[in-house]
Amino acid sequence: MSAPTLTTDTPLTPQSPATSGRPVPGSIPVPGTGRPLVLRWIRSGAKAVWGAGAVLLFLLLWELGPLYLAPASTRVFLPPLHEVLAALGTLIAKGQLQNHLAASLTRSASGFGIAVVSAVILGLLVAWYGALDRFLNPLLEVFRNTAALALLPVFTLLLGIGETSKISIVAYAAFFPVLLNTIAGVRTVDPLLIRAARSLGLSNVSLFQKVILPSAVPTIFTGIRMAGTSSILVLIAAEMVGAKAGLGYLIVNAQSSFLIPDMYAGILTVALLGLAVNYLLVGVERRFSRWRTAVGSGTA
Amino acid sequence: MTQNSTPKISLHTIGKTFTVRPTKDAPLGSTLTALDGITLDVAAGEFLTLVGPSGSGKTTLLDLLAGLTRPDTGRVLVDGKEVTGPGKDRAVVFQQYALFPWRTAAANVSFGLEGPGPDGKRLSRRERAERARTYLDLVGLAGFEDRYPHELSGGMKQRVAIARSLAYEPDILLMDEPFAALDAQTREQLQDELLRIWRTTGKTIIFITHGIEEAVYLGQRVAVLSSRPGRLKAIVPIDLGERTGERDIRSDPAFVEHRHKVWSLLHDEVLKAQQAGHAKILPDGTAPDQTPQTLSGKAA
Repeated sequence: MSAPTLTTDTPLTPQSPATSGRPVPGSIPVPGTGRPLVLRWIRSGAKAVWGAGAVLLFLLLWELGPLYLAPASTRVFLPPLHEVLAALGTLIAKGQLQNHLAASLTRSASGFGIAVVSAVILGLLVAWYGALDRFLNPLLEVFRNTAALALLPVFTLLLGIGETSKISIVAYAAFFPVLLNTIAGVRTVDPLLIRAARSLGLSNVSLFQKVILPSAVPTIFTGIRMAGTSSILVLIAAEMVGAKAGLGYLIVNAQSSFLIPDMYAGILTVALLGLAVNYLLVGVERRFSRWRTAVGSGTA
Repeated sequence: MTQNSTPKISLHTIGKTFTVRPTKDAPLGSTLTALDGITLDVAAGEFLTLVGPSGSGKTTLLDLLAGLTRPDTGRVLVDGKEVTGPGKDRAVVFQQYALFPWRTAAANVSFGLEGPGPDGKRLSRRERAERARTYLDLVGLAGFEDRYPHELSGGMKQRVAIARSLAYEPDILLMDEPFAALDAQTREQLQDELLRIWRTTGKTIIFITHGIEEAVYLGQRVAVLSSRPGRLKAIVPIDLGERTGERDIRSDPAFVEHRHKVWSLLHDEVLKAQQAGHAKILPDGTAPDQTPQTLSGKAA
């Protein structure tokens, strides 16, 4: 990396025959090729600050707004950030937050796990057997378009307010994104790959295992990521309605007990949990679809 | 070429008809005769090229040989035994490479080695990797074992596909316009490589192509198919003498003469096919030209 020199000054360099071969009108040095390192650091630093800027600004507003902008009555319902963080610290110190978090995580993980396994299996079957698809599709459409939370009373009535109903509703909510993406993933497998595998004499089972499943994995993972988000969403709502532990319960209970900073601490935890789950699933997704760098790699 | 023993491949009055999906114009659907009464013997170790206009059923014929479809009339025999399905004594190389994008080059090559071999034994992981390396080496791709298909050029992809077909050591190589999607230079290079591989391995090769030059250059015999329904119009034996040294065979008088012979045989058929607006028959048995508007832009 040297300082940017005009290419026309060095017509003898063999590396750039295209630029030096004929005089380019007003030859301009290519920007960004030989920038000093410090400048680039500053730029990437500035980029990071800009990227985090909105979040920092929001947190600052949360801290300062209630203190200086809002009337005192509002401050009770919207405590500044430091009070919320203090409440969060107390909850952690007393071990309450961990308990609630563990309860929520167990429920969402079980429901999510059940949903992923059953939806992938059903999705593969539906995508493979056209008759099954024609039979089930209308019913699935009805269920898919019924908001999961609308069914919460049904789940509660039939399964009680215990763990079973919570896990079931999470599984229900997470089921459909995975199912639909699995079906789409299997349907969009390149038929040429199936032909190639068939010409090798592969049985149906190994065709599934070695061609269809790996080819559908990226699409299935998109569904799994969507399911992860919705499983937490639905769980919190379910815990708000009737539960004895969990983050949703923490939030509602704190509100009704007028422990407003505790309530915000719960909300903050939910937000962070959602972020963490999403990042985790994105990471797993990326790991499983590394080969898919070029979109539509089957170039004609 | 004298054929005293049983031919390697033997086609007896092959016919294949497709049922065309009902369309708006033809609500009852119609039938489409792709191949009609094809009888052809191919000797062991022979290199036969197959030319024909678009929609003359070249790919259909290859599918029959591969065992991907069954003929409606007649029989396909390999080593005197009727072909009832795909088998590892035959390998198919597709125009669009059909590499598995989630597998590296080496993993693609060893794909056909993963099941039980012809002797019922399974190869260990190391043996498979060893074999993959050998065959990647054979096609001139040593050192590219860990590349994913999207990291390879078209010519390299087709080399990998050829290596994959050779790796499980079939007797017969069925090639469906394998070099059609490549640029002229890469194509010529791969043609020579293929001839070299053919000479060293002694495979029986059936090579479908659009290019008359390619057919004459590669084949010991050129089979010319008529326009739809595909019938065997003629078989042109090619004798270009010894192919040693750096001699430019394509400008040799004998080559030009053969090329012209095949060209004149094909010319009428191509005209007929164009007037009828024939296009490629798709794997599901439909042909785009069943609807009046003709799309001739796509290099099929």
